[in-house]
Formats: sequence, C-alpha cells, structure tokens
Amino acid sequence: MPRSKVYVSSAGFTKIGDQWGKSLLDLAVEAARGALKGTSKVKPQQIFVGNMFSAMGARQEHLGALLASALGLAGVPSVKVESACSSGGSAFNIAYSLVRSGVLDSALVVGVEKMRDLEPEEVSLALAMAESAEYTQFVGASFAALNGLLARYYMEQLDVSREDLSAIPVIDHANAVMAGHAQFRKAITSDVVSRSGMVADPLRLFDCAPVGDGAAAVLLVNDKTASRSKRKMAEVLGGRIVTNEFSFYEREDMLDFNATREAFVGAMAQAGLSPQKLSFAEIHDAFSVVGALALEAMGFSRRGCGSKDAKEGKYSEGSDLPINTFGGLKARGHPVGATGVYQVAEAYLQLTDQAGKNQVEDADFGITHSIGGVDTTSVVHVFGKAS
Amino acid sequence: MAVQYWRIKDRYYRLIGSKCRECGAEFFPPVYRCRRCGSGGIEDKEMPKKGEIMTYTQLHQPLPGFEAQAPFYLAVVKLDNGARVLSQVVDSHEESVRTGARVRATVRRAKVDGDSGQIFYGYKFVVEN
Repeated sequence: MPRSKVYVSSAGFTKIGDQWGKSLLDLAVEAARGALKGTSKVKPQQIFVGNMFSAMGARQEHLGALLASALGLAGVPSVKVESACSSGGSAFNIAYSLVRSGVLDSALVVGVEKMRDLEPEEVSLALAMAESAEYTQFVGASFAALNGLLARYYMEQLDVSREDLSAIPVIDHANAVMAGHAQFRKAITSDVVSRSGMVADPLRLFDCAPVGDGAAAVLLVNDKTASRSKRKMAEVLGGRIVTNEFSFYEREDMLDFNATREAFVGAMAQAGLSPQKLSFAEIHDAFSVVGALALEAMGFSRRGCGSKDAKEGKYSEGSDLPINTFGGLKARGHPVGATGVYQVAEAYLQLTDQAGKNQVEDADFGITHSIGGVDTTSVVHVFGKAS
Repeated sequence: MAVQYWRIKDRYYRLIGSKCRECGAEFFPPVYRCRRCGSGGIEDKEMPKKGEIMTYTQLHQPLPGFEAQAPFYLAVVKLDNGARVLSQVVDSHEESVRTGARVRATVRRAKVDGDSGQIFYGYKFVVEN
C-alpha cells in the first residue's frame, strides 16, 4: 500500500510555568486553537491528547471527548494517549502512523499537563506512578530517586565528574533565554547547577526538569490535504516508539538506553537519513544524566562522553548538532504529557524558518526524542523541510 | 492500598521472587517469564538475604507517607543469586553506605498510610559490619 507523505502544517502552545489562572482544559484549548487558527479548510479527522496524570492533577479523565467538545468538534473521534512522560510523543506517533498509512487525512495532536495545582509531594507521587507501584513506590523511591541511582552509577562506572554532569543544564538555560514560551529564561553557570539544593544525591535541583503547566498542539496533514493549506510545513520523515525492560535496575546494562537507540535507528531508517544530516536534536533530558545517556545511545557521543562532549561545546548553539534549541526539558520546561508535543512544535518552527532568535541556520533535518520512565518508553521522530 | 499490599505481603516480608525452571535464573521482583531465556516456566523462590550495593542515593524529597523517614538511603542491591532489589538502606553509618558495601535484608516498618493510619511492613537492607 502506498504511504502518504505527512506534514506538520501548524503549531500552537502556551507559555510553560505557573498557570494559576488557567485550567487543564483552558490550556489544552489555547494550544489547540493556536494550531487550528487559519486552517478552517482543514478539519482534523481525529484528535489525540497526550497526557500523563490529569486524574491526579485535575481529577479529570476522558480528555479526548472533553477537548473535542470544547473546540466545537463534538463528533470527531478523540482519545487520550498515555505513556508517562512520553505521552505527547506517543500521541504524536499514533497520529502520524494513521495519517501515513492512509487511515486519516488529518489529525490534531494536543499535549497537556497541569502540575502546579498539586502540592510538591503529590507531584512526586504522580511522577512515581510511571514506575512500579508495588516495588518502587512501596519502598519510597520517587522518580528523582531512581534517576539519582542512575546518575551515581553513571559517574562511578564511567568516571564522569560533577562538572561534566552540569553541562547539559547549562546549554538548556542558555538556549531558553530568547524562547518566549520557556519556563526559565535565564542563563546559568556550571556552578549554579553544582551548588543547587540536593534532591536525590548526586542529583541537585538544577539537574532536574522543573514542574510546570503547559499545553502544545500540532496539526498533521497528508499530501492530499496539504494542497488546501497555504501554510509553511515541515515533513515528518519517520517515527518509532520502543519499550524497554520496565525498571532500569532490572536491565543487564543499566547505562545502555537501548529503547532510545532502537527508536532512533528505526526512525532514521524509516526516514532514509544518516545521522550526519541532522541539523538539530530535541532530546529528553528530564535529568542531566538522562540527556547524556540519550546522546550516547543515539551514537552522537561515545559511552561515558555525553556530558563531557556537551561541556566541550559539541551540542551548543552554533555547533554541528545543537540540542534543545528552545531550552529543552530543563529550561523550556517539562509539563510531562505535553513535552513531546512541544518538541514537535519546536522542530516545526526550526524547519519552517519561524524560530526567530532561536533559529538554527540552514536547518534541513531534525529529531525529537521523548522518554517515559527511565528509558522505559522511548519515542523518536525525524523531520525535514517540506519538499 | 491495603488490598494491594496484603496480596503480596509474603514478597515484602520474605523476599519471595521468581526462579526460572529452565535456566535457573532468579529474579526479584517476581516475573511472568524469564528475562534471561524467555521461558514461561516460573516458580516462586525465596531470595537470599545478602548482597552488595551497586548504586545508592540519599533522597531528600520523599513521597507522601515517607516524610518522617527523609532523608533516607535507597540502593540497587545485587543479591548473591544475581537478582537485583531496589530497597531502602537503614540503620547504617553514613560512611558505610557505599557502592560495593555488603548488605543484608531485614524487615522494617515501610510506611504509614496517612488516611487510615495503617502500618505497612517490608524489606529494608542494612550494611553488614
């Protein structure tokens, strides 16, 4: 069966942070309207909502119909997709797969998370639900604690220093300064990271993505529908979701993010692209150590060198492969179920020359990478300029 | 929470995990199929109570129900049969909680339910002198 070409034809998103005045639905509607603005000729044939913990964050489920109805699109099939922190990436992948295969001509993908209404310990519990209730939550291990265990193992086994680990958060903050939707638009030094408060030794506050509210949306269309849109578009060239052994400590090699590797290799093969062609990468760095291990798994850095390479400028603005061009999870922010869709929106801006002061020069191809759990679900998509 | 806990209390009290009838690999938490050889022939098996710390952390921002214990140590413990357990490490000198330290399992109060006041017990590890 011939595959359709698939394009992201528009994007919308809210600022990330303390959105006290807006509800979960307010945020989702704002982002969706941004993506649908001026696209009256294209009605999405299905809606996919990426969200992790609306039940706990807002005592609300059934987000698919809730959002469709609020948008005046009652009648359109609309469902929530959940895979922990990669929910937005997974929602996008399912929408992409259905448009690519010809089942749908168009789809709206909305990622949304309301985190700030919860007390801090409630947020910790909500995030811990990405891991085993019986054997992780029961022993009191928060999600940050698991990443702390991983970070120490990484540092001790592969001789990575505290200063090395701080490099990716520094890049994120530098890139967020000019990003209007970012939660923290302030540059930081390595010392700020290494002197911030301890969360889960050796991870400190600035190793960890912040808690924030936000929503992002993108409209996907096939070539048939695209001809009716006058918008700038980015093409989706490939995408893959891969799952791993559930708990990271059960894996033979705890430092091998093989779900990330397989998702990346699979998505790139689908795109028919070699890694050298990439102009930028939006990587999942909910914790500094996770960003480093992701860069290693995708083959951009050698084992043990993800943070060290970042420190030496390999992934900074102006390099061959800038990462997290609007601040990544650490500084743009990480409203968990929305993050994967923010990444797609940012890739869309880069590839349509709409990234403003964050524009990567001559951006031809880019990837987005989203993780749920500790590389437990990994989602990678590849994008290019619309041909 | 109470039923979820009661159902597997033996696993929490005695570290009942799994053994593969085909290749002999042992696992904790229990598995539905062997992670090494893929066999579905799995039986319950009590884990050895000793092992060593592979990695550890001290958690400063606890989950609800664990506030009174914070900050506390968590570790990935490699048991002497090769199975890996995620557990708290308690009753040990701060300097002794280190990668490679020998530890043994014990039963301790795990958490107190905030609403019902119910006390749950489970395994925790201590560093061996």
